[in-house]
Amino acid sequence: MKILVIISQTQDTEAKIKVSAAGNSIDTEGMKWIMNPYDEFAVEEAIQTKEKHGGEVVVVSMGPARVVETIRQALAMGADSALHILDEGSPDMDSFAMGKIIAGEIRKLGGFDIVFTGMKIIDEESGQVGVQIAEELGIPHVSLVSKVIEINPTANKAVCQKEIDGGHMVVEVPLPCLITCPDAMNDPRYASLPGIMKAKKKPLTEVKVSDINLDGLTRVKTVEIKVPQIERRLRIIKGQDGPMVKGAEVEKAAEELIKLLREEAKVI
Amino acid sequence: MSNEVWVVADLKIDGSVRQVTFEALSEARKKIAGKLGGELCGVLIGSGVSGHAAELGKYGAGKVYVVDNELLKNFNTEGYTIALSELIKKYSPAVVIAGNTVFGQDYFPAVAARVGAGVTMDAIEIDLTDDKKLRIKRFSHSSKAIPTQVFLDHHPMMTTVRPNSFKAAEDPKTPEVVDGAVTINPGDIKSKVIEIKTKGSDRPELTEAERVVSGGRGLGSEENFKYIYQLADMLGAAAGATRAAVDAGYCPYDMQVGQTGKAVSPSLYIAIAISGSVQHFAGMGSSKVIVAINKDPEAPIFQKCDYGIVGDLFDVLPPFTEKVRALVSQS
Repeated sequence: MKILVIISQTQDTEAKIKVSAAGNSIDTEGMKWIMNPYDEFAVEEAIQTKEKHGGEVVVVSMGPARVVETIRQALAMGADSALHILDEGSPDMDSFAMGKIIAGEIRKLGGFDIVFTGMKIIDEESGQVGVQIAEELGIPHVSLVSKVIEINPTANKAVCQKEIDGGHMVVEVPLPCLITCPDAMNDPRYASLPGIMKAKKKPLTEVKVSDINLDGLTRVKTVEIKVPQIERRLRIIKGQDGPMVKGAEVEKAAEELIKLLREEAKVI
Repeated sequence: MSNEVWVVADLKIDGSVRQVTFEALSEARKKIAGKLGGELCGVLIGSGVSGHAAELGKYGAGKVYVVDNELLKNFNTEGYTIALSELIKKYSPAVVIAGNTVFGQDYFPAVAARVGAGVTMDAIEIDLTDDKKLRIKRFSHSSKAIPTQVFLDHHPMMTTVRPNSFKAAEDPKTPEVVDGAVTINPGDIKSKVIEIKTKGSDRPELTEAERVVSGGRGLGSEENFKYIYQLADMLGAAAGATRAAVDAGYCPYDMQVGQTGKAVSPSLYIAIAISGSVQHFAGMGSSKVIVAINKDPEAPIFQKCDYGIVGDLFDVLPPFTEKVRALVSQS
């Protein structure tokens, strides 16, 4: 099987967020970059699929030069080769444009059986690019797959479980298809030391976004970014001796909390 | 191109209309339809759905487009994508809105790609700029940033909206019902739903609930989650959990709130034995009132909640739940 996995490099969620001077982007100076956590599940699923059915795993990733580090991580986990769509920060590229460009490059690669990608990228959090790529490629997708039950290349189908509100559904889809991966669908492996050594020699092809016509692709523009300032009341009830409420204090604390919720916050 | 503003109804598996549909209709009427000078319309896609037109009318839809087809039963990605894309091509609305639900996230971006429209996801505010472009606000960067995004010169302008972000307000109309007359060939439906399992529960769904009670790893066991369920039921609240509690097997994944779970924004969020990680706050940080009960006075949640008790949940919850019970039985 030819298995594709689309990954992104993202800012660490623990990072402190600072808005750039221009006011419409995030200041990435000194930021730590990691593989988008959802994409780790996608890479793991791709490698497990290869282990079961044979074939190769091709990593596809778009972004500036620093993205190579994340691509190498996926290669070290066990992917076989990679395509880096080099984009030195095209201004105003939205998710629509991103989906078009990535799909265009995947189409050139051709011959794939299944595509995995994370359900969303944790910095942008739009969660639309994967689905849009499937649509551009003209293949079916199953989003938010909590479990791949079966991939059957002979019968040319995949069977996936997908969580819905208040339950789940099982979806059968013909290959080739695209699957978006949420949390907890598998247990992503760490790259081994030999894996890291091997990754350095695995083939990595680069294409430049500047070679791709971007005119008129973008539909949505970010005009401003604000850091939310939610003022919290911070009324914390503590114990007299030591931080925890104990003994008779417990009853009083419960009483007081109810009163605050009723009379001050008016939520019960 | 018309000036119509569409809200696509989001249906539950039992066929009923999800609350986010009414919220979206109300907000679109208030912030968009008037300014645009276009009619507010509902869209019903599914099997045996035309009966819901009156409900959409109750929240201000003057017209309801219907694609009623047996192939669309129980939601189907390709079927929904074809139905909405064809409607859009035929009637050319200015704005199309849907709920950011499991289904909305699945087909809405595909429709946008198919009709060449821009789309934003999970908006918490919607309105129009002076030159009548859709403008939305949403959360990004683990809810630590709120970008404002404006649509450029492409039509339609599409967005999903986060449940529980807007008030549903009635504005009764008797809608004109339009049969969308979209043909769907069985051969166009590639993915098939072969099984659906829903767990019957009397509790409200997490993303729609006015109140949420969530438990963390500190609960210690699946058995102890009964404390969460008891308080939740007393308050008519949904029950949630942290990723750590789900990973530990104390409760199912569909209860997970946070970056990798559900995003909720209830009026009241009660966090029991939850430390308050960035990832958890990404899913509940926009709750109106946050209450924390935790025995660790240094837990980060005490820096970002409204009310808190530093104490052992096994000491505090029983009397607290009992007092809530007394209160509920009074009223």
